[in-house]
Amino acid sequence: MQEMFKILFSVILIDNLVLSRFLGVCSFLGLTKDLKNSMGMSIAVVFVMLLSTAVTYPIYAYLLDPYGLGYLQTVVFILVIAATVQVLEAIIRKAMPPLYQAMGIFLPLITTNCAILGVMLINIQESYSFVNAIMSSLGAGLGYTLAMFLFAGVREKLETSDIPDSLKGLPSTLIAASILSVSFMGFSGVIENLFG
Amino acid sequence: MKLVILQMSNILLPALIGGGTALLLGIVIILVFRFFSVKEDPLVNELTEVLPGVNCGGCGYSGCLAYASALASGEDSNTSKCTAGGLETAEAVAMTIGTAPQEYIPQVAHVFCQGSGEYTGKRYEYTGTPNCASSTGLFAGPNSCTYGCLGFGDCYDVCEFDAIWIDDGLAHVNHENCTACGKCVAACPKNLISLIPKHELATVNSCANHWPAAATRKNCKIGCISCRQCIKVCPVDAIHMDENLAVINQEICIHCGECVKVCPTHSISQGLLVGKEAEKAGRAAAKAEEEAAKAEVRAEKEAS
Repeated sequence: MQEMFKILFSVILIDNLVLSRFLGVCSFLGLTKDLKNSMGMSIAVVFVMLLSTAVTYPIYAYLLDPYGLGYLQTVVFILVIAATVQVLEAIIRKAMPPLYQAMGIFLPLITTNCAILGVMLINIQESYSFVNAIMSSLGAGLGYTLAMFLFAGVREKLETSDIPDSLKGLPSTLIAASILSVSFMGFSGVIENLFG
Repeated sequence: MKLVILQMSNILLPALIGGGTALLLGIVIILVFRFFSVKEDPLVNELTEVLPGVNCGGCGYSGCLAYASALASGEDSNTSKCTAGGLETAEAVAMTIGTAPQEYIPQVAHVFCQGSGEYTGKRYEYTGTPNCASSTGLFAGPNSCTYGCLGFGDCYDVCEFDAIWIDDGLAHVNHENCTACGKCVAACPKNLISLIPKHELATVNSCANHWPAAATRKNCKIGCISCRQCIKVCPVDAIHMDENLAVINQEICIHCGECVKVCPTHSISQGLLVGKEAEKAGRAAAKAEEEAAKAEVRAEKEAS
């Protein structure tokens, strides 16, 4: 139980998906201009992460690993993630139209997002049990959400600031993102001491 | 023989597992799509093709797709809501739906202020965030006339049709490009921009100042001083006073231009602006006309 929460909080704060592991940076930079887009994308990422873990973990545990086919994980995971997202999109479009309006357009965007595949591979690498893997994916999704909201706020402030011409646009955004990433380094050591 | 089969199984098994997974997933996708397909109304697609696709919100919906859906489902029967597309789009939409085209009155935005740096001054030096909303929050802005245009360009920032330009601290609307989408109307913190019917000789009192004559005159050389000369000469009674400010009713106005001639401060202007160069040329021409008229009067006096 304790380990579950330790993994959850450490993945949100210390090993933050975007700010520490630098996965999913393109969607992070592209969608934080608008707070509404950030929210939609974050919901979609959490959904897809959980669902993908639920599907890929058993496939690895029962189909690939027993036969020593660990090297196939990249290819098979990508296949499974792409198919899962397509199925999810079709179901949501039909069954929950308001949810589709809110985050539907981001689902195809996520399919090839390195963050999803990255988290799946990290789960395998860290040899997590199924529950721990779910916690890790949930934490990754929530950490992504946190980073998106924080950065959307920062960008809003940047809009009305007086920035030198040579740094306007992407340069100032990247510099701000790196400063935010450095600030998250301050969390290292907190989780270990909190959860023993 | 055995060795060959063993080696084959090293390749065969992963190939089977990989290929099998892909095949299985493909079948799952096909089945799901068959059961969970959403019927799309082809009319929505046709309408989306006809609409300009700018998603400016001038129609009042959140985008072209939203307006097309409302039209297709019968929720909205007004086919002339697209301001960006104009008369062409209104007719095309009506034709696509199969109804008769409704009356379309083109409108444009207009900035009801002429107080550039030439005519107004500053009460204090403003060094804060350079946008209109922020500066107006500080004691109603740095201009000597607190109703007037601040010139930081909040309207320019939101215009998607390149129809606004800022010159000498005053915003101007390029009436050729303006599609009356209404974004600048909402953006101006002083509510200086309104939509007026698009007539070539549109006559408006471009002032928003409600101060009495003395205060207005002190702070802006081109402001309306509520002398009521325009009301006296208007043949159709289109002008009324709204607390020290003359307002011309655009529905009644016949564009005769009498009020323009008698306005002592030139607050009333006639004609639509079409770009910075055209406006400067127009002002130069108007000044030249005045000079010529004055020279004539002087010549007459000398002769008599």
